[in-house]
Amino acid sequence: MAAVTETWRRHIVGQLKHRDLNQHHRFQDLIRFYIRLLEKTSLTKGILSCSTRQRSSDRSSVSSLLHQNNDLKKTTGELAYQVLELQQQIKIKECFLEEQHARLVADGSRLEGALDARRALQRRVETVQEDNGTLKRNYDELLELQRREEMKLREETVRGEGLLEDLIHLKTQAAAHMNSHNQRRSRAREANLQKELQTAARSKVTVDSCSSAPTSRSTSPKSDHQQDSTDGGHVRRFRSLSASSPRILSSFRDLFDRKRRGHSVCSLEEDLMFPVRFSSSARVPVRALQVLEAHEQGINAVRFSSSSQLLATGGTDREVKLWEVRSGSLTHRSTLDGSTEGITCIEFDPAGFRILAASYDKSALLWRLDDSVPKLTLTGHSRKVTAARFTGCLHQVVTGSADRTIRLWDLQRAACVKVVEVSSYCSDLVCCENSVISGHFDSKIRVWDSRALRCVQELLVQGKVTSLDIGSDHRQLLSCCRDDCLQLVDLRGRSNERVCFRADGFKCGSDSTKAVISPDGCFLAAGSADGAVYIWNVSTGNLETRLPDRHSSSISAVAWSMSGEYVVSVDKSRRAVLWSDI
Amino acid sequence: MADDKDVLRDVWFGRIPTCFTLNQDEVTEREAEPYYLLLPRVSYLTLVTDKVKKHFHKVMRAEDVEEMWFEYEGTPLKWHNPIGLLFDFHASNSVLPWSITVHFKNFPDRDLLHCPSNSVIEAHFMSGIKEADALKHKSQVVNDMQKKDHKQLWMGLQNDKFDQFWAINRKLMEYPTEEGGFRYIPFRIYQTTSDRPFIQKLFRPVSPEGSVHTLCDLLKEMYPVALPSDGEPKRYQVVIHGIEPLLETPLQWLSEHLSHPDNFLHICVLPVPSD
Repeated sequence: MAAVTETWRRHIVGQLKHRDLNQHHRFQDLIRFYIRLLEKTSLTKGILSCSTRQRSSDRSSVSSLLHQNNDLKKTTGELAYQVLELQQQIKIKECFLEEQHARLVADGSRLEGALDARRALQRRVETVQEDNGTLKRNYDELLELQRREEMKLREETVRGEGLLEDLIHLKTQAAAHMNSHNQRRSRAREANLQKELQTAARSKVTVDSCSSAPTSRSTSPKSDHQQDSTDGGHVRRFRSLSASSPRILSSFRDLFDRKRRGHSVCSLEEDLMFPVRFSSSARVPVRALQVLEAHEQGINAVRFSSSSQLLATGGTDREVKLWEVRSGSLTHRSTLDGSTEGITCIEFDPAGFRILAASYDKSALLWRLDDSVPKLTLTGHSRKVTAARFTGCLHQVVTGSADRTIRLWDLQRAACVKVVEVSSYCSDLVCCENSVISGHFDSKIRVWDSRALRCVQELLVQGKVTSLDIGSDHRQLLSCCRDDCLQLVDLRGRSNERVCFRADGFKCGSDSTKAVISPDGCFLAAGSADGAVYIWNVSTGNLETRLPDRHSSSISAVAWSMSGEYVVSVDKSRRAVLWSDI
Repeated sequence: MADDKDVLRDVWFGRIPTCFTLNQDEVTEREAEPYYLLLPRVSYLTLVTDKVKKHFHKVMRAEDVEEMWFEYEGTPLKWHNPIGLLFDFHASNSVLPWSITVHFKNFPDRDLLHCPSNSVIEAHFMSGIKEADALKHKSQVVNDMQKKDHKQLWMGLQNDKFDQFWAINRKLMEYPTEEGGFRYIPFRIYQTTSDRPFIQKLFRPVSPEGSVHTLCDLLKEMYPVALPSDGEPKRYQVVIHGIEPLLETPLQWLSEHLSHPDNFLHICVLPVPSD
């Protein structure tokens, strides 16, 4: 359809073009020229006819010629005037032209200047571009560096995560180990008990009285217990009768045991054993007898028993270890566990049967030396307990804590009987007959009446008090401060004479560095941050000796045996060193 | 379409080279030169021959001059027909330029209308437009036009201004799209073989069945002899504006594009020259 349409349309257009070519374009120029020619011929004809007419009238022609001559003269004058005018105009134009030329020259020079400026700018652009290029290169390098560093960081984080996982794994392993340990122990105890019971059952018992009912199985455990606690004879009978049911018996025994532990901590005979304090002359140690890695983590506290035969160390690994000191060497005897955090302070009771420790887990713990499970846990502090000491009084201990309180505990009731709020962090405590002396971070030593726990005296020192020690005669108080100075205070009288002890190189390594007075009160010993033990002579006030090279890190505590024979120093990197003069 | 606009232009600017010669019998002072002119096909003889008149007046005495009229080979030329039509009808197969004899005496009152001034031509032209619009739009479009629009049509023709003329004429060529064309096509068919001046009847651009009518359909209806019969040589030429459109050309398109300014499609049917 479209093709058909196009055909007739194209045909018409073509035909029209053809028609115009034939009829129009061929003729238009011809006709135009003809018309022009025609006009010209008619014009010439007109002029010719005019001239012929003039020739015919000769007379009038002379006057008309004169007239024409005048006219021509007039026009000549006019034309001359016009020439003058035009010349003037030419002059003006020339002036104008010159002006234009001058302007052109000025513009040219300006253009030149602009071009120069442009060239200079171009040069600057080039230099700036170059600078930019170098900057860009530097930036790229830095970017690359950053990328590498980031990669490293990422690797490190991944490694950190791995380490954290390992740590968690180790912790869970340790917990599992602890659990299995406890389980084993309880199983062993049960087995022991069983064995005892069996032997008891096997042994023949003669029953004198038949007053008790043979059907005592129905007797209530409570009444039995009461009987047991009041009358020893009843106990024997009870045992013999219930031997046929060992399980019930053992559970009773358990209950009974726990009750004893809970309420009456100390048996009377333990308390009756009072310490015999003697002051043998101390001997200044000269060399290390033994160096050992005593704990799995840093050691915070060390103490000799009053008999000098036992040494206790307490560390960040939550354990208290007991060591036998025999013939110049330390032998591991047992480990007391039960604390859930690191141990900060240890003390033997004066009789040497029990050991008291302060712990980071906000409690103080009491063990009997033959039982690794704590006999008593004293809880109540709200922050770590920094010091725990037996008072001179029976059944009482006093604890100091970072929560700025000092608490007095009754061991028989296993309860806190007194709380004193102090204005500062308590770092250490010592006790003498009637008073408790505490050291604080506000550079003060406070003396308290041990019955009422009333502050009776404040002594100002030079820095944070890290530890206190009291001489065996209770006459001298040693304090160690963060100003790297040991201070010996005379407690007698009101004068409180003080002597300072310093040494080159001695530096108090931490907020809990512990210094001691020798048992005879003639020497002072302290460990320094440089890993050396410093010993001062009290009478001369000078440094007696310096024992270096055995510790690789800051010494946290030292202890001097009551026999005066041994000094033990412990440090933050698990090492304990036994020093002696032998 | 661009082609259609070109067609309109070509139609408008169609020219015929003409040689005017003074009649031998006219009394002159001296010999009269022939006068040559390119005559616009769409205009009227008396509208474009002022120069011819002036040219011949130069050689004649004023008292010998009467109304000018034209004659070709003995036939007086009717000025009220467009020039293109006159040429196609009388002289399409003769040699160019078209040689017209100019008379200033013996006006043939029986054959020709008098033309004392241009206003007569204008009246004639406008009546043609109105008649055509009556056929195309029942006179609605031309009656809606203002006086100045009518004047613009006439001035466009008189001064040979294509754009001026078509700015208005465009409206006359519009039609409602749903009807596919004008009501009736304004056309006139001129023939040499009859004494009738022309054939003019009502004829729709679209058949009652809805198919488009072509030039062939029109001739079949009006003048079947003009159509070539099978196997015979062509006997008649159908000429519009000096060309022979194909017979399948749609009549509506022809009316829109090949009409003269008076809006009529002037179609000449001529016998094929026998030389």
